[in-house]
Amino acid sequence: MRALLSLAGLVSLVLVAAPAALAQGSFAPVEPASPNAEGIRSSYLFVSIFILAIFVLVEGALIAFILKYRRRRRARFADGAQIHGQTRLEILWTTLPVVVLFLIAAFVFIELPGIKNVPEAGASGELEIRVTGRQYYWQYEYPNGVIAIDRMRAPVGVPVRLTVSAPDSDVIHSWWIPALGGKIDAIPGRVNETWFEADRTGVFEGQCAELCGVGHAFMTASVEVLPEAEFAAWLEERRQAQTTGDVALGEETWEGVCAKCHGLAGQGALYRAVAGSAVLRDPQAVETLVRNGRRTMPAVGAGWTAEQIDALNAYLKESPPGGS
Amino acid sequence: MAVRTEPHPAYQGKVVSWLTTTDHKRIGILYICTSLLFFVLAGLMGLVIRLQLMQANGDVVDPQRYNELVTIHGTSMVFLVGVPILAGFGNYLVPLMIGAHDMAFPRLNALSYWLFAFGGAVLMLSFFAQGGAAQAGWTSYPPLAEQTAGHGQDLWILSLHILTASSIAGAINFLVTIHNLRARGMTWTRMPLFVWSIYVYAWLLLAVLPVLSAAITMILLDRGLELGGWEIQTSFFDPAEGGNAVLYQHAFWFFGHPEVYIIVLPAFGIISEVLPVFARKPIFGYKAIAFSTVAIGFFSMLVWAHHMFTVGLPISLQAYFMIASMVIAVPTGMKIFNWLATLWRGNLAFDSAMLFALGFLSIFVVGGLTGIYLAAFPIDWQLHDSYFVVAHFHYTLFGGVVFAIFAGLHYWWPKMFGRMLDERLGKLSFWLLFVGFNLTFFPQHLLGLEGMPRRIATYANESWEGYNTLSTVGSWVMGVAILAFVVNVLVSRNGPRVGNDPWRAYTLEWYTTSPPPPHNFDDVPYVTSPRPLYDLRRRLREREGARGAA
Ligand SMILES: [Cu+2]
Repeated sequence: MRALLSLAGLVSLVLVAAPAALAQGSFAPVEPASPNAEGIRSSYLFVSIFILAIFVLVEGALIAFILKYRRRRRARFADGAQIHGQTRLEILWTTLPVVVLFLIAAFVFIELPGIKNVPEAGASGELEIRVTGRQYYWQYEYPNGVIAIDRMRAPVGVPVRLTVSAPDSDVIHSWWIPALGGKIDAIPGRVNETWFEADRTGVFEGQCAELCGVGHAFMTASVEVLPEAEFAAWLEERRQAQTTGDVALGEETWEGVCAKCHGLAGQGALYRAVAGSAVLRDPQAVETLVRNGRRTMPAVGAGWTAEQIDALNAYLKESPPGGS
Repeated sequence: MAVRTEPHPAYQGKVVSWLTTTDHKRIGILYICTSLLFFVLAGLMGLVIRLQLMQANGDVVDPQRYNELVTIHGTSMVFLVGVPILAGFGNYLVPLMIGAHDMAFPRLNALSYWLFAFGGAVLMLSFFAQGGAAQAGWTSYPPLAEQTAGHGQDLWILSLHILTASSIAGAINFLVTIHNLRARGMTWTRMPLFVWSIYVYAWLLLAVLPVLSAAITMILLDRGLELGGWEIQTSFFDPAEGGNAVLYQHAFWFFGHPEVYIIVLPAFGIISEVLPVFARKPIFGYKAIAFSTVAIGFFSMLVWAHHMFTVGLPISLQAYFMIASMVIAVPTGMKIFNWLATLWRGNLAFDSAMLFALGFLSIFVVGGLTGIYLAAFPIDWQLHDSYFVVAHFHYTLFGGVVFAIFAGLHYWWPKMFGRMLDERLGKLSFWLLFVGFNLTFFPQHLLGLEGMPRRIATYANESWEGYNTLSTVGSWVMGVAILAFVVNVLVSRNGPRVGNDPWRAYTLEWYTTSPPPPHNFDDVPYVTSPRPLYDLRRRLREREGARGAA
């Protein structure tokens, strides 16, 4: 009885201390920067209360029984108590988990709208960005046609809707920036939606979470959250540059699309070196290559706009990888 | 009870007699040995994976080779270790436990084994295929699995087809055997709980393996093949041609989730046999455990899409799959509480078999509990496909199944070979495995929470390095543990004979000699409870008491 009481005491201690302790350090999802990530994290902490209580209860009982009922001086094959079962206990430990699971499910449904639904837009409206996962880069398209690769820029405090997909010819990827919410798969032939509303500026890192081939580990993504005015300036600057053979987009394209396989200086990485190749100096050849792929190289640029191809060629001309 | 302790003369055979055997005991041992061999191979792949991830920007193997290792490690641990080693225990034990002379179809049984060995060889040798082994993970999602060049993926499909044929034949054999060959008096509620678990295991295999076969056949056809001038090229999963890539995931997980229980349930069965013998008590709540086995088997076919919470299913479906997954936690919890209650007021002996069973209990609880986070779908959006999931399923499948298998090996070793495994080495391998296991897999929960996705060949984020290094060191400790077990097997080859029933166990397999003769039993007693040998001994004592009084 005393053992049971002290066990109950321990369990209640855990109940009180657990969420606070977990929230420190790395025992809970990363520090959220968006309401949906916040909702997921508080669900996680709520579930943790029960998980830890049951953990302490079961492991505590296990250790207590091991100590208390070890053989000591009894004969090796002496019978223990011949108890075959007890219906009331069976009912107890069937219904108790049902109650716990009911509470967990209820809490999840209470938190769900805050995680799933995009909040009402404030004075500055909302932003929609098309996210496309491709082997092995992320491409973003803003409403005004601006294209960016791997690094997304977004304004702080504005709801950002993401429509996430992958081209028909590609494979499945998964969009995941832990501080900005859960992940959602980018699936060929299907458009999924997610959102975030960053509560502070800064850079939030993430990477593709669905095995997508040899370059999977290199398919990183980041979201740079900027003050609203700064974001607007960036968007406008990129829009103008894009119409005039934008070197910034070309550089992003080289780094995000080409360099993961061929190295930043074209020295070769997952695949062969391309530094000094005649193809890189021939805009027509570059276009043919990226649009159609060749042998093991996928058509990484299928579906790109002429602007994006031009941007890549402009960059290759300005700073040819590996020097000229 | 029989008294002979020398192996039966019919067993003093040569290699050929092993290759042509239809004896369920020999087939069982072949299954177990072959699976252990694959366990070592797939374990070595795991060690390479850990070595690669020990430090940021690791460069032990290139990313393509890494993906091959991840794929074949996972596929082998499930199809070449988990399922067949339990088929091995089932083969060896089911006829003995129900008092039968052999399986219902001994030659079909031999076919099952040889198909398994052949399928396993195909998978392992696929590393040497053009383009290397399969690289799309053990789940092999299209379109990736359809776009990978080379023959690795095709051989992966071939291997799984062969293994499926093997398992289906084996499952039918188990069902017919259990239905028809039980000893007199062995009603369904007097059947050993391990036999119950194999019974449900067999039904599940029959129910879900055909779905896997269909799904991977569709991948094969989508990849395209040429048959005598006919070119076949379908597009079941190719959205460009109107196919649907998510369809495969439904089919795969309709198989894949029950597959977890196909492996875990017989492991539960082993625990339900070991705990009572070393606690000197009947199992607490026999009927509750048998019932929960059936319940888990049934519900496991209704929860598959909790592996697909991030593909963008409607919220109503996700809610259903969350609740269904939580329902499974209830019978699983029942089992854990019943096992704990079996220890209560027992006379506990801590031989290696018992240590592994207790280790199972303490680790499996963690795997079960972290599953609740993953069932709650919004939390899963954060944790899915991260190292948290890797930690979770290693806690259930390694912590659960492998610990149970080692409990079973130490417990039934004297049955199979008439000799004991060395206790000191057994305890050493237990403690090394227990410590190494937790060291390897606990930090992986934290990596997942910090945002490390699974199946990445390397990482640049140096803040992940600490936990990864810890995990890799743990994998070495586990390696030493397995080495200690191998040494134990070699050393114990000539260990002392220990008689027919060293544990004074309760079930019929211990009624005959250890090892048993080819026909198993000269006679089988009438079964009066789930513990026929306990009843026999009590009657014997009573008779002696009566004689003493007279
Ligand atoms: Cu990807």
